[in-house]
Amino acid sequence: MSNTVHATVSAAIKSAKHTAAAPLTWDPTNHLLARFTFGPTASSRAYVQKHGAGAWYQRQLELAATYRGYDGNSHVAAQGPLLSMSPYDVREWLKEQGDEYGWDAMDQLTLVTLGLQAWSSAQLYETLVDFFSNHLNVPNHNGDVWNTRHAYDRDVIRQYATGSFTDMLLASAKHPAMLIYLSLADSTKTAVNENYGRELLELHTVGLNYTEDDVKNAAKLLTGRTIDDNMHYLFDDYIHGTGPVQVLGFTHPNSTATGGENAGDDLVRYLAAHPDTAQHLARKLCVRYVSDNPSTSLVNAVAKAYTDNHTQILPMVSTILRSTEFWESRGKKVRRPTENLLATIRVLGIGASNWSDALQTLHWMTNDMGNCPLDWPAPNGYPDVATAWRSSGTLLDIWGTHLGLVGGWWDGLPGAKVGALYGGMPANSGDAIKRLTKRLTGMTWSSKHLAVLQTFLGESATTPMSKSVLRWWGEPLAAVILDGPHHALR
Amino acid sequence: MTNFDLAVQHAAERVRCNLQAQDDAWGTSGWTRRRFLAGLGMVGVAALGSQLVTTRAAYAATPSTDDHTLIVIFLRGAADGLHILVPNSANLGLDYLRAVRGDLVPGSADLVALTGGWALNARLRPLYDQLWSTGELGFVPAVSTPGFSRSHFQAQQFLERGGSDTASTGWLDRVLTSLGPGTTFRAVSEGDATPMSLAGPEPSITLTSIEDFAFPGWDDIRPASQEAVLQLYRDVGGTLGADVPNTITALGTAAQIQAAASGSPNYPDGDFGRALKDLAKILRAEVGLQVATVDVGGWDTHTEEQNELDNQLEYAADALQTFFADLGPTRRQRVTVAVMTEFGRRVEMNDSGGTDHGHGSVMWLMGGGLAQSGVFGKWDALSDATLDDGDVAGLNNPFNVLGELVQKRLGAGSLTTVFPGLDYNPLGVFTTT
Repeated sequence: MSNTVHATVSAAIKSAKHTAAAPLTWDPTNHLLARFTFGPTASSRAYVQKHGAGAWYQRQLELAATYRGYDGNSHVAAQGPLLSMSPYDVREWLKEQGDEYGWDAMDQLTLVTLGLQAWSSAQLYETLVDFFSNHLNVPNHNGDVWNTRHAYDRDVIRQYATGSFTDMLLASAKHPAMLIYLSLADSTKTAVNENYGRELLELHTVGLNYTEDDVKNAAKLLTGRTIDDNMHYLFDDYIHGTGPVQVLGFTHPNSTATGGENAGDDLVRYLAAHPDTAQHLARKLCVRYVSDNPSTSLVNAVAKAYTDNHTQILPMVSTILRSTEFWESRGKKVRRPTENLLATIRVLGIGASNWSDALQTLHWMTNDMGNCPLDWPAPNGYPDVATAWRSSGTLLDIWGTHLGLVGGWWDGLPGAKVGALYGGMPANSGDAIKRLTKRLTGMTWSSKHLAVLQTFLGESATTPMSKSVLRWWGEPLAAVILDGPHHALR
Repeated sequence: MTNFDLAVQHAAERVRCNLQAQDDAWGTSGWTRRRFLAGLGMVGVAALGSQLVTTRAAYAATPSTDDHTLIVIFLRGAADGLHILVPNSANLGLDYLRAVRGDLVPGSADLVALTGGWALNARLRPLYDQLWSTGELGFVPAVSTPGFSRSHFQAQQFLERGGSDTASTGWLDRVLTSLGPGTTFRAVSEGDATPMSLAGPEPSITLTSIEDFAFPGWDDIRPASQEAVLQLYRDVGGTLGADVPNTITALGTAAQIQAAASGSPNYPDGDFGRALKDLAKILRAEVGLQVATVDVGGWDTHTEEQNELDNQLEYAADALQTFFADLGPTRRQRVTVAVMTEFGRRVEMNDSGGTDHGHGSVMWLMGGGLAQSGVFGKWDALSDATLDDGDVAGLNNPFNVLGELVQKRLGAGSLTTVFPGLDYNPLGVFTTT
């Protein structure tokens, strides 16, 4: 495997060996879209084929800048009216409904997140939002963050997903949702709570390269960060613990309580720029976009891009796209349950007949498969390697969604018209199979795999359409195609 | 290729051999879907599954009603052992505990006296009433070894890998290997994904509902769909290459389990109650279940621990008590439940009414095979001198407890591959009978 990073995306594609993990085959268009979007669509394939991968990336950067919040799909955004509100305003809105408390804003965040992953035009941005939501995870549908979690998504994750990680981390270290979830809001100089201090080091920045003293010092320096009665961030110097601290190579006299907030920011900046943080983030991004076991040299190159660009996020992404290793990694990732579901919707070209119903359907489906976006209950975020997702029950669930989505079984999501997916009138049964496999998986299947489908239909390839069982079995055939490895791998 | 990849490849190869046996039995050349359907008629999933299971005879064992089962329940998030099993006498360090924990130490009205000065959180009284007098309830305090850090993620992995940060397989997978051949349902994980403890070459089934474990579609399409999916994955490597055939092979046994008698209607709502209900049903069906895992979240009590933990314990006691009642006194003699967590919590309470990450934890043991009810292992009275950086020290190695369990109850034999490097010193918790 070559680990060269090239000047341009097209040079990287040219340098790559034409290889892929079977049964997938070398195909830069589908590879790009399978990794940097929630799944190829007919139109995104056409765009990349016409303009090239580099131009697609530039276009996605423009869309990321244009649609930094929830506007990547206006129908979806309309399902989240609470998402623009402050924590205080959400509470006031709930009071007007007669409630002191409610999950409405968290529910809307789930629905809009799923909707944008399925239907936003700013797909690269949505993959980065998903990545950093998990990296700095605050579980949605955790009762304590009922009126702050949506603001965290908007003001921390979406705000900086294509910007500077230092800025994102500084914002997270002052956000009520994070402060509540990891108990920093409750930590005081008289009884320090170490929850946030530990995860800041282990999960958010340097990884498992710290001592218990580092945890205690970081936790002490960050005391004072709490929330006011309106659930907004407040630095309360009265509860800040003063005195010199040392965390890894960072030292601070921390001599005054009023200086405690700035001293904490200094620590956060130090940690964001730490070489171990660069390694940690680079490895996770490579696992996200390249393979479950990225090479050390690629991780080093991505980490260097992060450090050289003062903790900017996009140079890491660009480095991956310009690496030979990325373009030689097709088929090396297994779609996680929600990725499989979303890729199914996208490749079938399913829209929503009713946006509210459609998003509710996606919510319960992903919940059933243990992969509802933003809902991983622990602070480390959803795992991103195939070995962490092994489940017979989930496989059966996913296969059920394929048949149901094709057939339009569920509220808000019309089924696919299999006849339209052929892209013209097939000459016979064998031609129909070839057309459908190509349309749904973007690739030409081997004769052996085509024969499996022919056996499934129980008729010869030359059977004319007028006599073919495809008059009734089009939907099950499409489902079996989606059940197979050509769609399960990416 | 890593050891893990090799292990998965090995597992896939075994399933492939199984498919080859199926081809041999049915004849590859003359085989068509029509013949397949004609042969099976409209019987569907159950028939297909049992056909496949039959061909596994080369390496599958026949379930026996003498077999034992180990159920491992993992309390994710680090359950506070000192709030569950309380050292409730001066000689165990109660005065020190009260001095640094204040109100978080349960008073006598909230405790059930056990033995030797130990007391149980009264939220677990249903388990005490059900299991203690019959010798079916034990605890081990101060459970840890130096390999456990105070990171949730490192400690969980270290425990599940069986005492290593780098092993590519889990300890339960290695137990299965040491036990030799088993059935399709020999190992079951209740949850969304297979836990690290079962990672490795031995096939296992992960599910969240045995009732829903079925291939989608209607009867006249299902057998052909299953066969097509099997064929499409025949040369695929990685996890799917092993999991897809394993899943489809398991459908027949799943249908057999679904047809077994329903059990108790009294399980509490929620994932834990539902998981135990599933396992009781699988156990009743006698399909050769040897090992099962259940994950229960919500134990990371950094704030307001009193209410949060007591509610968790009340629910757990309800679910487990229902489970043992559902199994009944005879069947539960063959089932041992081990409840564990990644580490205990700081002895001192923090300012939020909670506790931060600590070290020594408490393991609970229930059901068949205990030598007697009791509190096992070493304990040093709590004091500044005996704590490990403010935490309960690790005096009892969890792998000694688990090693004794799998050796005496499952017949795992030598522990050298299950827990490499373990200096095995059993605590005398279990008997072989």
